[in-house]
Amino acid sequence: MRRLGALAALIVKDVKQLLRDPRSLVMILLMPMAVMAMFVAGYGEERSSIPIVVVNLDGGPVSWRLIELLRSSGDFRVVAYAPTAEAGVELVRRGAAYAALVIPPGFSESVVRGRSTRVVTVLDASYATVSELVWQAAVVVVQSFMKAASEEYGTFYIDVERQTVYGPKVSSVDSFTSTIMGVLLHLVPMSLIAVSISRERERKTFEQLIMTPLSSWQIVVGKFVAYALVTIADMVATFGFAVYVLGVRVAGPLPALVTVSLLLLLCSLGLGLLISAVSRNQLQAYQAAIFFFIPSMLFSGFFMPVEMLSPAAQAVGRLLPLYYFLRAFRSIQLRGWGLQDVAGEVTALALETAAFLAAAVRVLRLRVE
Amino acid sequence: MLAIEAVNLTKVFGGFRAVDGVTLRVEEGVIFGLLGPNGAGKTTTIRMILGLLKPTSGYVRVYGIDVERDRRSVLRITGYMPQHFSLYEDLTVEENMRLYASLYGLGRGDAEERIRELMDEFMLRDFRGRLAGKLSGGTKQRLALAVALLHRPRLLVVDEPTAGVDPPLRRYFWGKFRELKERGVTILVTTHYMDEAENCDRIALMSRGRVAAEGSPLEIKRLAYGGDIIELVTAGDPRPALDGLAASVLEFEGDGSYSRVRLLVPDASEALVPLTRELEGRGVRVVRAYQVPLSLEEAFIRLTSRG
Repeated sequence: MRRLGALAALIVKDVKQLLRDPRSLVMILLMPMAVMAMFVAGYGEERSSIPIVVVNLDGGPVSWRLIELLRSSGDFRVVAYAPTAEAGVELVRRGAAYAALVIPPGFSESVVRGRSTRVVTVLDASYATVSELVWQAAVVVVQSFMKAASEEYGTFYIDVERQTVYGPKVSSVDSFTSTIMGVLLHLVPMSLIAVSISRERERKTFEQLIMTPLSSWQIVVGKFVAYALVTIADMVATFGFAVYVLGVRVAGPLPALVTVSLLLLLCSLGLGLLISAVSRNQLQAYQAAIFFFIPSMLFSGFFMPVEMLSPAAQAVGRLLPLYYFLRAFRSIQLRGWGLQDVAGEVTALALETAAFLAAAVRVLRLRVE
Repeated sequence: MLAIEAVNLTKVFGGFRAVDGVTLRVEEGVIFGLLGPNGAGKTTTIRMILGLLKPTSGYVRVYGIDVERDRRSVLRITGYMPQHFSLYEDLTVEENMRLYASLYGLGRGDAEERIRELMDEFMLRDFRGRLAGKLSGGTKQRLALAVALLHRPRLLVVDEPTAGVDPPLRRYFWGKFRELKERGVTILVTTHYMDEAENCDRIALMSRGRVAAEGSPLEIKRLAYGGDIIELVTAGDPRPALDGLAASVLEFEGDGSYSRVRLLVPDASEALVPLTRELEGRGVRVVRAYQVPLSLEEAFIRLTSRG
């Protein structure tokens, strides 16, 4: 009984401490709400449709009825009509659309005459989850079209043929490599460096450090380079493990993949330093890092391509380093693109890194308050 | 020349005035003590002097340099030993010293020489390879002072150097401060040990964010009591004989045959002999006469309890 009494006292004490620490309380209450709100904002409302290309080689009235049905299904958004199958596939290859729907010549005639015919869906296998979605939705649309049109044209059959680019099928290990690397190269360096300055503040070493004639840029760049050197070793090890032990497939040039990963690493360090410069203590810095990671996870294309989120979430997504990393990494790893093909993403990551560092220098106060 | 000129410093945290209109003028080459109980605003004051805190109002000049405008030039001539050990506990004694030598911009050869000198001076050679976190409290303090002196500062600011330090080391530190003073270093030191403050050339008594009194230890005591105190033991009651003399009675105790009387005089060393003679001349037999030593602590309490 006495032991239980002591235990109860301990529990009461810890609950009291939690409730008397306003920051923890805010985290406990605000964090789930914020995450749910972000989730609803990004995924809750009517989902944006999947961008596809249509190649109508038939041109007849029946084919247009099928396209109309496709558009009204709400699952697809036709971003382009390509004149040839090759042009359509090229758009998918370039990442302008997740799939191309090719309607072959003579489609309308076949339907009217009750013969069997086909449509071809060309899927981007480098986005496994999306291509599965496209495939299923395409089959559903074609089936409902057959049902509706058979009343008018009599019985006929449309086969949905499946083709892929960057495929045929990407294994789940390959497909998730970008996600795993993204988490490792974003969250780990960011949370590590986020506590660096606040730790010096808490341990009082900051007070002595800023009694030397150092500038804030020296402190920021010094920490940045030191943490980069240490975490790069970590990154190389992770990479080696993925490629040589797990046998992850890399279609594009490995140096390009390493470059993009390095840029995310540096960008994460820059962001972490900014968090560190504004935080008053380690706990606050750590929580801020985690808090920042949540929108990164939801809106960067981690679970679902950003194009399929709500417009607001897309706008947020385009600010996130992870968004650019995931796009560039997937393109190099699964599509076999080179560094020049992801120049935009690379530039964005480099600019964000520079911006974070500059902001950190600006906000870092060489004072103890 | 003034080593420190701090004028009308005020620091408000939230609604709390931690320091409220403090003005300090520290002459070059003195040991200046900032004295007061915990929470009087001493640390906040020196942090403002060093530019570690931005004053809510007021300004500071160190050797004529405005701290707000050109803090870096001030740092080059200022050494600081904070209240809590603030060096890197996961670096060794030598690594800490080398780091700070570089941060202060000492050249390679100069740094070598300076580190060697300071290791000898502060008996750190035996600990050079030891992690700073593994040092005893006293050695940590010696290391902290050595690091504060690496760049040969003209002004040394030490915050509670003797808090939690054993008496021999306290004595050692005060000896060091006097040595440094001989070498021309100005020292601003805070302490809440009143007895130590006797070592200072000048002190400012702080209480509740204000300077309650400033002067040499002797001046402070005279200010608190209105002069010096001497005590006489006499045969009979000397009080009637004191008429017309520059001494007032503070305490009297008598058993009919002998009396003990405490007198307030402007200056004990000047008054003691003439006063005794005068009383003897007036027929009072003085058995003993001596100055009563006054403690700064008592003076402090008198000065701060006046309201």
